[in-house]
Amino acid sequence: MRESIGKQTGLIFFPAFDWAISPTHPEREERLLYTRDQIFEEGIMDLPQISEYAPVLATAHDIARTHFCVPRVEDQTTEAHLIAAGAAILLADEIASGRLKNGFALVRPPGHHSMRVVRGNRGFCNINNEAIMVDYLRRHHGIKRVAIVDTDVHHGDGTQDIFWHDPDVLFISFHQDGRTLYPGTGFTNEAGGPKAYARTINIPLPPGTTDESLMYVVDNLILPVLNDFKPEFIVNSAGQDNHYTDPLGSMKITAQGYARLTEKLRPDLAVLEGGYAIETALPYVNMGIILALAGLDYTYVREPDLRPFKESPDLASDVRWTVDKLMRQWEKRDLVVPNPEHVKGNYYQQVKSIYYDTDGINENQLEKLRLCGNCPGYLTIDTKATHGYGRTGGRALCVSIPFTACSSCRAEAEDLYEQSKKIKEYQHVYLQDKPSDIFLSYDSASGQERRSEG
Amino acid sequence: MYVGVDVGGTFTDAVLLSNGVIRATAKMPTKADLLESILEALDVVLKDVNIRELKRIVFSTTVITNLIAGQKHDKVALLLIPGPGLSHKHYDFKAEVCVLSGAIDYRGREIVPLNEKEIEEALSGLAAKGFKKVGVVGKFSPRNSAHEKRVAAIIKEKYPDWQAELGFRAGPQLNFPRRAVTTCLTCATRGPYRIFVNSVRQALAKREITAEVFILKADGGTLPLGNSVEQPVETIFSGPAASTLGVQALTPPDVTEVAVDIGGTTTDIALILNGQPLLSAKGARVDEQLTQVRALAVKSVPVGGDSVLELSGNEIVFRPERLGPAYCMGGPAPTPTDALRVLGLTALGDEDKAREAMEDLGAPLGMSAGEAAGKVMSLVVNSITEEVKKMFLEWEQEPAYRIWELLQKKKVRPSIVAGVGGGADGFISQIASELGCQPVIPPYAPVANAIGAAVARPTLQVSLRADTEQGYYNIREEGFQGKIDRQSFNERKALELARERLLGKAAGYGLDVALDDIEVTYQEVFNMIRGWDTAGRLYDLTVQTPRGIAGRIEIGGK
Ligand SMILES: [Zn+2]
Ligand SMILES: [Zn+2]
Repeated sequence: MRESIGKQTGLIFFPAFDWAISPTHPEREERLLYTRDQIFEEGIMDLPQISEYAPVLATAHDIARTHFCVPRVEDQTTEAHLIAAGAAILLADEIASGRLKNGFALVRPPGHHSMRVVRGNRGFCNINNEAIMVDYLRRHHGIKRVAIVDTDVHHGDGTQDIFWHDPDVLFISFHQDGRTLYPGTGFTNEAGGPKAYARTINIPLPPGTTDESLMYVVDNLILPVLNDFKPEFIVNSAGQDNHYTDPLGSMKITAQGYARLTEKLRPDLAVLEGGYAIETALPYVNMGIILALAGLDYTYVREPDLRPFKESPDLASDVRWTVDKLMRQWEKRDLVVPNPEHVKGNYYQQVKSIYYDTDGINENQLEKLRLCGNCPGYLTIDTKATHGYGRTGGRALCVSIPFTACSSCRAEAEDLYEQSKKIKEYQHVYLQDKPSDIFLSYDSASGQERRSEG
Repeated sequence: MYVGVDVGGTFTDAVLLSNGVIRATAKMPTKADLLESILEALDVVLKDVNIRELKRIVFSTTVITNLIAGQKHDKVALLLIPGPGLSHKHYDFKAEVCVLSGAIDYRGREIVPLNEKEIEEALSGLAAKGFKKVGVVGKFSPRNSAHEKRVAAIIKEKYPDWQAELGFRAGPQLNFPRRAVTTCLTCATRGPYRIFVNSVRQALAKREITAEVFILKADGGTLPLGNSVEQPVETIFSGPAASTLGVQALTPPDVTEVAVDIGGTTTDIALILNGQPLLSAKGARVDEQLTQVRALAVKSVPVGGDSVLELSGNEIVFRPERLGPAYCMGGPAPTPTDALRVLGLTALGDEDKAREAMEDLGAPLGMSAGEAAGKVMSLVVNSITEEVKKMFLEWEQEPAYRIWELLQKKKVRPSIVAGVGGGADGFISQIASELGCQPVIPPYAPVANAIGAAVARPTLQVSLRADTEQGYYNIREEGFQGKIDRQSFNERKALELARERLLGKAAGYGLDVALDDIEVTYQEVFNMIRGWDTAGRLYDLTVQTPRGIAGRIEIGGK
């Protein structure tokens, strides 16, 4: 943990009042209106413990470090997306350099449903703000071990996908049980790839879970795991739709619950995700999170209609059972061998099918990881997509070399990229070379290659 | 003809302006009797003038600032209605504080009612302690002032001789702590400010002056003298605004420039971006506390021509106080003015004495008088240019909340450094060259503040919030509420309504404003959501008559 005495909490408040997915979409311009009113009226930005920053735009290069945007970064992002990701990067930069104690990027649009390959908008997200920021930190600050704790009511399936094979990024998501809510994933057996087993921890919670059981999860699972993993940097994907008034979720978490959660997690950086009770939850939950980050008394933050919530003994024992199971899974993390069904020679492979709800796109992926004794192995994704209205998104091959790749994996990946450029079926071929921070994209129709260098 | 008068702590300056030409100037020491100082200055500039031709007099003053800084005012108690949110222990208002029950939310809905018994107890407690001035301030009171008004009504009934100021009037913007500070200052200064206004009125009546009279605000706008008693705190810190407007009037239009006012022990720096003085993002700071008073972004650096120089180890450093004049002018210690004299950049004072001061300062470091003077020069220049760079950086990093605001923020750099104030002459060319700018010392620089007052344009503003779900609109500055038609109300109608109110207000102030000149400084429209449906719209806008200067000064004639 960084030395934090006397340092401020950095805030970027960027409501993007001039951006919406569509006029009636929940992810629209007034989402942070009352939060703005509450924060400004309370004078939060004037407190000596708080420092407000203006966001900057992330670059296409920053995004290409994390995502494969098909066909190009420019086609999948608007200025609003670049600002949200840029805000997370700016605060992370200040925190990692020791100028801030911690920070909160109160930005929209959100990002935790965005996966490694981006073909459109999924669950209100285009690009994954936290993942882009984490990869930036690893590149520019040499940070190796990162933990991301996703506290949105929806499973952070995008972040899970991006760090699935990464043993150095611990991804923990608690959320309303996927049998009852979008995106329908996030079960306990989704635990990470063969080289990163149990570094993905999914904690499905029953609808109606209150602050009480949530604190049980934090104290008995999340904190002990963080303590074992010893991350250099903790990110909180701070979705607020677990609130008892949220129109999408069915949980019973209060602003006090969110504040206590923040106080216990002690994240270096929190990044806003979902939360659509724009009047009844967001102004209070955001206040609670900010005050908790800044080490200020948050006990006066209270929703006007707050009442005590009781959960059933069944629900509580259900949560305890899940926590026990996941704790045992975590303890066995280094003893698990890859499922032989998925092993083909030197490669671990799996087929995935991804649906982009906002844009009506179906994507099929074949993901292959090289099983290497010296590094986490390079990854390829063979992707093909169909739009709901018939237009094809084109087939593409994406090759990603991880930061800690060995020289043999790097050479093989580079060779594969060159060979694939000659294969007619691929309309686009990408190489994401993280160790050298060079990202190539080849367009077969024009025969042109684009190169992005930091 | 226009007259500008700047009543400062040390000097009272005045200028007479006619068709863009300075006709007369005056500089008098400010006396304890303000009336006397004002009359003397007016007499100098109005000599040989037909008083009927005088169209406008604008005053700028630091008397209110000095009053606050010196704590020379009656004790004020604050009755706060903060409700839930930030813990009350984080408030530090430097006043007696009573916290009352009650709460209003961001939409102006009552979420916790007042407790009348508790209010009465708080009031009798204050009465027992001898308080007669109270500020009543509620969180979100600009959205619904019912709680503040009810408390005020109880005060009026029980303690009719008390002075009560309400937060929604004194601090109508969203920021509860700044509203509390602003209300407290309003309460403290209203009485003494009225006395100042009366001295001005008497001074003018004695000279049979019937011209329109205005007072400069901290943001460079003005208020008619009579109406200024409603918002006395708006006039605090109008001194820096006066000299900034003066620089604006004395330099070419539409340039980006730095106005540097070098005084005895402090240097004030202001930025003029593309011809417009930059406003402070956070409002004026009084006695270390932020207020809701709009003010120009002026930074003070504790260095000036009379700052004391001394050695700290192997370094030459400043002390932020004044021990007397420069050594070369009979003072006790070496100062930057002595350095200027040695370098031949000023003709003030005795050269031999200046050389002696620099020799003494530099000797322990093995420096000659010339070397020490050069070192002092670069110290002064650096401390000022560093602050200028910081101000530009801070401006670039000011928060923005909309995509277009963020994208339009282009990097700008100044082309001119304009120096005013007594110490400017010797330092400005060095400061300018360090910043890659052209140095300008305008003529009449010593009375630039009075010129700024003379050219300041009258300004007024109106803020409207309309809520189509609830079917009403209100005008923040006036606490006025009116009905709107839920169906047909739209953004155009909101703007028309605001403009109409502003024109009406301007007419009431005797100001002639053209409809086209009204600026929209703030405009927001939001859908209000109930569940998934849009239940109504919220319109929030602010319009104002244009700020700025009424004309430039012709410089050719000097
Ligand atoms: Zn969500
Ligand atoms: Zn390898």
